[in-house]
Amino acid sequence: MSGELFVVDNLTVTLPTSRGPVDVVKNVSFTVGRDETVGIVGESGSGKSMTALAVLGLLPRGARTSGSVRLDGAELLGRSDRDLRSVRGNAISMVFQDPLSSLNPYYTVGLQIEEMYRTHRGGTRRAARRVAIEALERVHIPDAARRVDHYPHQFSGGMRQRVMIAMALCCSPSLLIADEPTTALDVTVQAQILELLGELQSTTGTGMMFITHDLAVISSIAQRVLVMQAGDPVEYGTAEQVFSDPRHEYTRMLLDAVPRIDDEVLS
Amino acid sequence: MTLLQVRGVTKEFVTRGEGTMARKSVFTAVDDVSFEVELGETLAIVGESGSGKSTTARIAARLLEPTAGTVVFDGQDVTRARGKELASFRNNVQVVFQDPFSSLNPRYTVERIITAPLTYQGITPKGGRRAFTQELMERVGLNPDHCRRYPAQFSGGQAQRIGIARALAVNPKLVICDEAVSALDVSIQAQVLELLMRLQRESGFSYVFIAHDLAVVRQISQRVAVMNRGRIVEVGTRDQVFGDPQDEYTKTLLAAVPRINPEWDARRRGKRAS
Repeated sequence: MSGELFVVDNLTVTLPTSRGPVDVVKNVSFTVGRDETVGIVGESGSGKSMTALAVLGLLPRGARTSGSVRLDGAELLGRSDRDLRSVRGNAISMVFQDPLSSLNPYYTVGLQIEEMYRTHRGGTRRAARRVAIEALERVHIPDAARRVDHYPHQFSGGMRQRVMIAMALCCSPSLLIADEPTTALDVTVQAQILELLGELQSTTGTGMMFITHDLAVISSIAQRVLVMQAGDPVEYGTAEQVFSDPRHEYTRMLLDAVPRIDDEVLS
Repeated sequence: MTLLQVRGVTKEFVTRGEGTMARKSVFTAVDDVSFEVELGETLAIVGESGSGKSTTARIAARLLEPTAGTVVFDGQDVTRARGKELASFRNNVQVVFQDPFSSLNPRYTVERIITAPLTYQGITPKGGRRAFTQELMERVGLNPDHCRRYPAQFSGGQAQRIGIARALAVNPKLVICDEAVSALDVSIQAQVLELLMRLQRESGFSYVFIAHDLAVVRQISQRVAVMNRGRIVEVGTRDQVFGDPQDEYTKTLLAAVPRINPEWDARRRGKRAS
């Protein structure tokens, strides 16, 4: 197979506003290889989440896109909702910032994973339940066979995010989009989730698009980095290049603004 | 001079157990916490969610009453202060909250927001409210011509500056910042941190700075208290706590902070310097 697993080529997203159409993502291009993590970093309003939503066709009503988004060579932009539904959660899945609002409080986590699995893969409920338990074990939820029957509120924030990751990975996607997956978590829990994502990636080979505002998190997980500002891709390169030799003024400013834990103190 | 003394403060919340016939149970959010704040210093209280840091801040600000223990401010026991006594406490102690938009009344102009503490204290500023507001806005880096605007017309960083200006209106001796920069983008956060430090240098008041972000705390504090499950597990100077932590939990917390690859960072700085 030629080329990369996932290619975003010249993606532009335009949203209608009361003051006319606004380009919230402008000519963004990047690629994600198998087993690779690409970090998209930017401040609020930089267009990093819009980029992720565009990939899955989840943009708000009235949004327009141009350019190309290809997974394994197949174009995703402009596909019908029905078509995309078979992609979402299957070939490409997503983990969001707030697991509590992404999980249905009325269903056990097991049922939610089973639903996801059976929608894409079919099979019996019994088989799906086995998959759910295995998925929970894979993300190191202790006592998975019992926890599968628990409701979201019975899990802590970090455990809930593990459930989300278990669900996202149950159909063995080729690409995982993680949108600020650790932002709502405490720092000790964040470290565990980052470790888990790295571990799962090395066993499954899933490509990952990791969106965050946190440069230190990006530095610890991504091989390549795209820096965005107000919809513009300002810098794109290997993590090493972007962090050690940033070309763009904005990237330098951003790096200078990050408070350090074991380094000189401001003023 | 010791400005604030919190002695043996405990706060219990009564929670209902599961089910209709369940017994009430007691959750101890803050458990026998003591600390002091000197005039002009910044004491940071750090901890993860549920550690009791915000509850501690609220008790210190007299926004919550403790179940046990005392709060002494400027030599006065203010734990159960009411009426005039409480008003005089509020004249000296102000709070800056995490979310500027939910702590600023959306239907009030900036002028009305910033002068609200004066209204509460029954003070009329010399030179009038307008001039007073504009001077404070200038001090916190806001355009004074915007004093008749509403909070929604400002960005998050600017709105936080309004919150800071309001806190400074009564010229307090102590400003309690409860996650005051947590909701801000990193570039804005750096600016607001610098503003907070400049204001302290100019006016010499103290901060109690509540935060979960250890890197931020390291920038602004002289002393640090680490909280875990309602207790202070470690307290010391910034360099002691960050450089030579004694408590296991503090060590875990510090180790978990994500870092920019130090090798890359050093190379970047080397290039910048040359």
